[in-house]
Amino acid sequence: MWYVGGEISLILNPDSMKPIYIQISEWLESEILNRTIDTNEKIYSQYQLAEMFNINPATAAKGINILADEKVLYKKRGLGMFVAADAKEIILIKRKNTKLNAMVTELAKEAVQLNVSEEELINMIRGMHQKIKGEEK
Amino acid sequence: MKTVECIELTKQYGKTKAINNLSFTLSENKITGLIGRNGAGKTTLLKMIAGYLRHSSGEIQVFGVNPFNSLKVSANTIFIDNGMSFSNMLTLLELLESAKRFYPNWNHDLALKLFDYFSFSPNLSHVNLSKGMKSTFNMIIGLAARCPLTIFDEPTSGMDAGTRKDFYRALLKDYIAEPRTIILSSHLIDEVEDILEEVLLIKNGEKLLHTPVEELKEFAIGIRGKTEALKEWMEKIEPIYIQEIGANISYAVIKNDRSLIELENAKAIGLEVVPVPTEDICTYLTSKTKGGIDHVFS
Amino acid sequence: MYLAEVSSWEIVKKQYRYKLRSYFGVFSSLVVIQILATFFSLNGTGMSGGSSGTFSYNVNYYSGDLILAFVMIWGFITAIIITTKAYRYDDYSFVTNRKISHFSNILFLMSASLFAGITVFLSSHLCRLLAVYVKHVDGIMMNQLTITQILKGVSATVLYIFLFVSIGYFVGMLIQVNRLFSFLIPVGFIGFLIMDGLHNDPTLLQTIALFFGSEALLTLLFVKIITVSALFYVLAILISNRMEVRS
Repeated sequence: MWYVGGEISLILNPDSMKPIYIQISEWLESEILNRTIDTNEKIYSQYQLAEMFNINPATAAKGINILADEKVLYKKRGLGMFVAADAKEIILIKRKNTKLNAMVTELAKEAVQLNVSEEELINMIRGMHQKIKGEEK
Repeated sequence: MKTVECIELTKQYGKTKAINNLSFTLSENKITGLIGRNGAGKTTLLKMIAGYLRHSSGEIQVFGVNPFNSLKVSANTIFIDNGMSFSNMLTLLELLESAKRFYPNWNHDLALKLFDYFSFSPNLSHVNLSKGMKSTFNMIIGLAARCPLTIFDEPTSGMDAGTRKDFYRALLKDYIAEPRTIILSSHLIDEVEDILEEVLLIKNGEKLLHTPVEELKEFAIGIRGKTEALKEWMEKIEPIYIQEIGANISYAVIKNDRSLIELENAKAIGLEVVPVPTEDICTYLTSKTKGGIDHVFS
Repeated sequence: MYLAEVSSWEIVKKQYRYKLRSYFGVFSSLVVIQILATFFSLNGTGMSGGSSGTFSYNVNYYSGDLILAFVMIWGFITAIIITTKAYRYDDYSFVTNRKISHFSNILFLMSASLFAGITVFLSSHLCRLLAVYVKHVDGIMMNQLTITQILKGVSATVLYIFLFVSIGYFVGMLIQVNRLFSFLIPVGFIGFLIMDGLHNDPTLLQTIALFFGSEALLTLLFVKIITVSALFYVLAILISNRMEVRS
């Protein structure tokens, strides 16, 4: 984070291969998943996001529109975008399908390259999974 | 609505064409980045849009009229570069007050706050400022004027890193408060890409690309791996840029229009597919040869 | 964002106001020139004298002619300076177009001529005063002028200065259009004088001086000078209307 004119600006990962609008939509998803913004609450406007992340409002709007297309958000005419009732489920399913899948692919590839056996890999994952779950409690 | 429209615009100095057959349209209230190397024709183009220079052939329209000698364009456009000249008979504060009289949308409150924030002394005159301070002062005028068409030509030259960040942040915030058409020229896209909506990339006075900034990011991909494998895979592909980066290892940048199968094939023969930073895409597209500076030394 | 509608006249006035302040250096140079000219004039512009057995006398003429000549040259040069890039580009940092730039310049030059004309009148009086106090002149004789006469005199002075200013503006613009003129004009001017002088009876300057200088009627002088000045300005505007700025 860095300071500009006394205001905190969030910073996106500039090295990421992901386009900014994807990063924005993922950040919004996380906000919904961890209930910073609850169902039927109004989500940030494109202008708020633009200021928060120091990006062009059109780019921010693209990020919002992805979620609207996926029915995570719904539009109230003249009021803006709101979080849908089943937003969390939609996001979770999507993440499982795409994000997790991609990560598992990478993980498996790396494991093969490093000569890590299937068993070893599964044990590693299990260990980490339990550890993180324990921390959350 | 179209703010700027150019059709086959050409600007000739003697035999050289500074701007060559350039056609593009800038629609209202967007921030567009004009990107190109030194000498690509950025300043010439911007000065024609501002009405300072006459075009040689083709057509140019700003707010629907030819900008050269147009009062309508002058009153609704502000052109900021480091060549702005101000009389040294007026203090900085008096200059702001003069600008206020000329520009109907002028936001004096914003001007004074920025003036204060960047710690200008009101009694100095413009000639006493350092290069960076001049740029900063000109930027204040550019922002506070709130002109429907605001042009910044290399606005951050001479500014230190902190001031640059402040400038782009201020520009974005004021744009959100009062949307307008903004053209920002730079040879560094890195600095500006986040706040841009569109990019106009020019080289030798010609248009290379005019796309939403997000598409520019996805415009090219990099392929890295053993030179022979790369050569074989690239047989029918025209590279944007190619370079040998080490013993028997090469790196090529190609247009991102390959099919998934082709890319999978590349991976299968040990080639890596990597993203290319926007900055590099611009550099490769605008460079004179396909091998960059290394060609000179080989 | 809505587009601002502005009228040319509004902007001419604003540019004029801006120029009065930003070209302030023009007025300071005027003051310097006049102080210089006043001191030069203290030697008198004409002198005669005589003596007889018991007394001798000296008659010195003190007039503002030298001051006026200096100020005319000042006006000529000032107008040229205003046409240079450094000054022209100042306009374009704010709202303008070529016509507005010219009209505000002309307004400014008119004001400068007016100011200069009045100060020439004042400093030629100052010159006479100084002659009394500094040079210990025993007696001074002056024409008693009525207010109307003074006004007429000042008006004529202003007009003469304005004439020189308009010539300067035209010459300046010619030079801006093509640098060659900065060489051609002096050469041409001196050439003409020499050619003229080769005849036994040089008439060129005389004719010009007679045309403007011998006009007894102020209104006619006004018409003559304004017509000629306007001609120079129109020419200046025409030749520079396609000129690019900040190139």
